[in-house]
Amino acid sequence: MSQITLTGVSRAFGKVGVLHDINLNILDGELIVFVGPSGCGKSTLLRLIAGLDRPTGGAIAIDGKDVTTVPAADRGLAMVFQSYALYPHMSVRQNLAFGLENARMARAEIDARIAEAARMLEIAPYLDRRPGQLSGGQRQRVAIGRAIVRNPTAFLLDEPLSNLDAELRISTRAELAALHERLSATMVYVTHDQIEAMTLADRIVVLRAGRIEQIGTPLDLYNHPANLFVAGFIGAPRMNFLPVKVAAGGTGRSSLTLDGSAGFEIDGNVSAVNGDVTLGQRPHHISLADAGKGDIAARVALVEALGSETIVHTKTSGGQTMLAVVAGQCPVASGDTVDLKFDTSHLHLFDDTGQRIAVS
Amino acid sequence: MADVRNGIATRAGAMILAPVGWLANLFDSPLRMLQRRTGSNGMAVFFLAPNMLVFGIFVLFPLVINILYSMTGGGALFLGDRTFVGADQYGRLFSCSSYLDPKSCIEDLFWIAVWNTLAFVVLQVAMMVAVALVTALVLNRELRARSFWRAVFFFPVLLSPVVVGLIWRWILQRQGLLNLMVFEAGGTPVNWLVERNWAFTAAIMVSVWAHVGFYALILLAGLQAIPKDLYEAAEMDGTRPLRVFWRITLPLLAPNLLVVLVLTLIRAVQIFDEVYVLTGGGPGTSTLFLTQYIYEVGFASMLRNPGLASAASILMGAVLVVLTLIQLGIARRNEQRGKMR
Ligand SMILES: Nc1ncnc2c1ncn2[C@@H]1O[C@H](COP(=O)(O)OP(=O)(O)OP(=O)(O)O)[C@@H](O)[C@H]1O
Ligand SMILES: [Mg+2]
Repeated sequence: MSQITLTGVSRAFGKVGVLHDINLNILDGELIVFVGPSGCGKSTLLRLIAGLDRPTGGAIAIDGKDVTTVPAADRGLAMVFQSYALYPHMSVRQNLAFGLENARMARAEIDARIAEAARMLEIAPYLDRRPGQLSGGQRQRVAIGRAIVRNPTAFLLDEPLSNLDAELRISTRAELAALHERLSATMVYVTHDQIEAMTLADRIVVLRAGRIEQIGTPLDLYNHPANLFVAGFIGAPRMNFLPVKVAAGGTGRSSLTLDGSAGFEIDGNVSAVNGDVTLGQRPHHISLADAGKGDIAARVALVEALGSETIVHTKTSGGQTMLAVVAGQCPVASGDTVDLKFDTSHLHLFDDTGQRIAVS
Repeated sequence: MADVRNGIATRAGAMILAPVGWLANLFDSPLRMLQRRTGSNGMAVFFLAPNMLVFGIFVLFPLVINILYSMTGGGALFLGDRTFVGADQYGRLFSCSSYLDPKSCIEDLFWIAVWNTLAFVVLQVAMMVAVALVTALVLNRELRARSFWRAVFFFPVLLSPVVVGLIWRWILQRQGLLNLMVFEAGGTPVNWLVERNWAFTAAIMVSVWAHVGFYALILLAGLQAIPKDLYEAAEMDGTRPLRVFWRITLPLLAPNLLVVLVLTLIRAVQIFDEVYVLTGGGPGTSTLFLTQYIYEVGFASMLRNPGLASAASILMGAVLVVLTLIQLGIARRNEQRGKMR
């Protein structure tokens, strides 16, 4: 059991507030990912949980026990640092043993745990090397190994993959997911890479400027982003946004007007009728149509043919950049005029404060 | 605002650099001509020659002369007037019935100086490394006005050794500052520079005070090069502070500590100026060190014997060469290890 509860946690450095009123309940065995742009406070939040830093307000509890002022060592957590922070003058074995020796564990038990972790992470051949004699990927495993041997109640990982090259990052990501499965331990994982977040997380916490924008499962966030920021942050390529006017349409329907001229109707009543709203549509939900058959005309600015799919960058007459991702290969070239067709069952609407508008 | 400041700085820089550029251009064409004539090796010689000349006149030549002097006898100043005696001067330095008992030696002062210097080196180096380490550790903490404290500890390094000696003489002499304070506090004044052990202690303390800032700075640089992450990892690992020091700080600081150790050794062997001003080698011969012995035998005493002084200085030089080689070896090893990381 290891449930981590944050209640109204805030952290300020001097007058500068970095985290504001963070409320979060991390469930036992969950892999939760903090994601957000650089400088939004992800590392700071993780360090508060770790006990390496103290909040200026609020409380942190592990399994219902308040640990806000408990030293890092006594929280039973283990951390994997972005830089790995391996002790450079110690062998891999000594690195793994160090924390256990601190706890005055019996030698035999230490050796057994190291052997087990080395087997699991396939680092047994390097146990007597120094970190400086290992590759980046091997060092990363040792860093994870150092956390595993401690048998912590939860793992805290701060961008553990960011120092690996692209290929290694993908394979290590899969291994981490498998490891989480096997240990069924609580993991708090920080990244600024939304793909990492989407692939690994049980739940994602999207942070911006020290505030939680949304908490939810990856698909929750993808399908029902709570606001413009989350909509734009989750998913690649980014969601398209267009200013539209919304009005009541036929019974049980609403009409959307683009660029003052073109428009279409959608099912459901929009709570904010007769207003200016922002329409969001993911590139994968936009298709190309024959002239006059689509919802809006646009000029192709760039075509990225990836083989399995084609990313078409277009510009509308209103000057908006719209991306469409078309499955397979598609015979358009930059300079062409195309019609874009929206998928009305996958539209997102946001009010002028950026909050999602419910369509009922 | 920053842009404006940058603009001003750039313009000021350009104004300062303009004459430099003009001068450089002035030399440009003659240098090019020279290079065409002599090739790039010739250019190297051209640039190195002035330095080599200075080194030759002021270092290499005196060194050779010194070796020759050490093989001559008499009080005459010019080498041509001196008589060749071979290794006699060295023999004189080493003629003892027991090296441990200076009184049994012909050159008893030499051996007193040797043993004094050895004791000084051991005690002063230990003291210096310890104080430098503690100072660096304290200065590395997040304390208020940290740069002020750094400056305070570094300041004595900038003083001339003579000034250092004088300052401390004013403090330690019989009617000096320290005794005034002892008296005010109700204690009995001590004649710090006249009592043997106190004088020796004072020599160590003063030389440590004068140089510790420099070595503390080297160690501080080493401490700051240790990644903060390691300390956080140790904190997560539940490491007690003392163990952090022994198992993380000290091993990672070891290269710097070794450099400091050897540098202080080299300087301690050569101890002279500040102690000479402070105690003049006294009381008696209790703070007489090798360099002072060489100086007095060579230049200052009634029975001037330049040959003997040269022989002693060559012996001391040999010790320093060994220490310097060790230091260079360490430096090279550190460099390689740095590359490996
Ligand atoms: N010790 C500190 N003193 C002052 N400000 C700090 C300190 N640590 C962090 N900050 C500030 O807090 C904010 C959040 O920092 P944090 O390291 O948590 O960002 P992050 O989300 O992890 O970013 P990144 O993705 O770049 O790692 C930043 O604006 C940073 O400048
Ligand atoms: Mg960070």
